[in-house]
Amino acid sequence: MAQRVVLRRFLAPVLFRKLPRCRWGPLPPEVLAQGSSGRPAAALCLARTFSTTKISKVTFNVQDGPDFQDRVVNSDTPVVVDFHAQWCGPCKILGPRLEKMVAKQEGKVLMAKVDIDDNTDLAIEYEVSAVPTVLAIKNGDVVDKFVGIKDEDQLEAFLKKLIGC
Amino acid sequence: MVLDFVKPSPLGTSWGLGGTCVNVGCIPKKLMHQAALLGQALKDSRKFGWEYEEQVKHNWETMTEAIQNHICSLNWGYRVTLREKSVTYANSYGEFVEHHKIKATNRKGQETFYTAGKFVIATGERPRYLGIPGDKEYCITSDDLFSLPYCPGKTLVVGASYVALECAGFLAGIGLNVTVMVRSILLRGFDQEIAEKIGAYMELNGVKFLRKYIPVKIQLLEEGTPGRLKVVAQSTEGSETVEEEYNTVLLAIGRDSCTRKMGLEKVGVKINEKTGKIPVNDEEQTNVPYIYAIGDVLEDKPELTPVAIRAGKLLARRLFGGRLEKCDYINVPTTVFTPLEYGCCGLSEEKAMELYKKDNIEVYHTFFWPLEWTVAGREDNTCFGKIICNKRDDNRVIGFHVLGPSAGEVTQGFAAAMKCGLTKQLLDDTIGIHPTCGEIFTTMEITKSSGLTISQKGC
Repeated sequence: MAQRVVLRRFLAPVLFRKLPRCRWGPLPPEVLAQGSSGRPAAALCLARTFSTTKISKVTFNVQDGPDFQDRVVNSDTPVVVDFHAQWCGPCKILGPRLEKMVAKQEGKVLMAKVDIDDNTDLAIEYEVSAVPTVLAIKNGDVVDKFVGIKDEDQLEAFLKKLIGC
Repeated sequence: MVLDFVKPSPLGTSWGLGGTCVNVGCIPKKLMHQAALLGQALKDSRKFGWEYEEQVKHNWETMTEAIQNHICSLNWGYRVTLREKSVTYANSYGEFVEHHKIKATNRKGQETFYTAGKFVIATGERPRYLGIPGDKEYCITSDDLFSLPYCPGKTLVVGASYVALECAGFLAGIGLNVTVMVRSILLRGFDQEIAEKIGAYMELNGVKFLRKYIPVKIQLLEEGTPGRLKVVAQSTEGSETVEEEYNTVLLAIGRDSCTRKMGLEKVGVKINEKTGKIPVNDEEQTNVPYIYAIGDVLEDKPELTPVAIRAGKLLARRLFGGRLEKCDYINVPTTVFTPLEYGCCGLSEEKAMELYKKDNIEVYHTFFWPLEWTVAGREDNTCFGKIICNKRDDNRVIGFHVLGPSAGEVTQGFAAAMKCGLTKQLLDDTIGIHPTCGEIFTTMEITKSSGLTISQKGC
């Protein structure tokens, strides 16, 4: 899994020049066929250069409003946004669970984590009252939402619906 | 629009939206008091048959983290509520620059100016310091205590306010070595008979009292979390001094109004120069017609959260809702959450004597032994109830006092009864709920004036 991510980071600027949007189209088979031994140091350097802004992992922390605009609103891939808080017990349960289910979707959906105390304006803009609040965002629009904890099956269904529609 | 800004304490502590009560007052206080009560309950539980091997100990960090998480959720809740009611909120420090205009400065120093038709001042108070060497550098106050990232250890509490006694109470309750340094009397303004009983109970249960002393110097012996401090104290009655080492010194000697540095003089708002408090009329209006004030900054009004809330609500209704109702500051109930809780409504015995004269009042009193304390082997002739009646007004209950468990819960109902004009007869006509602590008020017979003993004997 990690190896794939590194390859993507390395290849993304090569294959997809359009910035700042991230694109996760399917990788050509010859790329995937390359083994782990060939992981060049250059790829890691490139990854570091791009990691915080342009190229993302499947899950990332939103730094601020512009970052949100960049990686969530302008994302071609649907994004689930997990609004959470340090002081919220249920958030600590839902967060990892959602991350796990998102990882299972193999890049078809991304997950953005927003700490509502660090990004209060953003939370207010999206009318977050209680936490955890999870929004499903596709092409910049909120297409689905839930508040509180869900189990893995419910999360799976939520994600599949987002990817599907 | 709401401007809320917390100037960090000398040690750098700050907090979110919600004021003193939510962040550094009632809420964390009551939760820590509860932590201490649970410790006591654990002790009692063995008498009720609970058997467990482990030594029971208390983890400060676990408690404060849980309490701070709850407070943060309340801070957030207020943000949401303001937004829902379309109230603009700015985390900025407001000060008057000229009539109808204020300057708001945020954390980064950016200034914005606002004008408005009406203003309400609800800036509250902050803890007072002693003005002696080492106080601001080494001492903490209630502003810092509730979010202290490390256990305070051996603590000296300076003061005899309810803040001092409540804090000393729960710190001792969670197992810390606590001393209270008192300049003169306990709980000034409260019924003194009860204040002394509160002190006696605390002393019996391990809190040390240094009466008639004041600190004159605080020195740092060793830095740390907590560190070691040396306190030099002077007797108020002679030239004796004492020195002692503590991990933490908590100052709780009073609170000062936050009215000095907000440009009130620029718009002519009169304040009490000595105390900083703002005198208002019965509609919470200051001497400047478009400026109002509510809460702890008010002169001669109870400094309690529900009072401020009520005054604020009614003020808003009068200003914008066409209503006329004014806030009633008489017979406001309150509770002191010391280890032995004290609930009261109305006049203290001293105040009643001053206003009505001894011959016109009748005081009924009794000790009581809560049923739950019997099996637990806890003290008898300690919990206490007292009512003060006005003989000239149908034996109207003008003072209600209860010292015992769940005092706040017991007092709330009686406060409503007093609002309805409770008399001794009505109390006697009320049938008690058994077995409770509150029922004693329905069967009180012995008066102070009779001189009869109220001590309960034997089994």
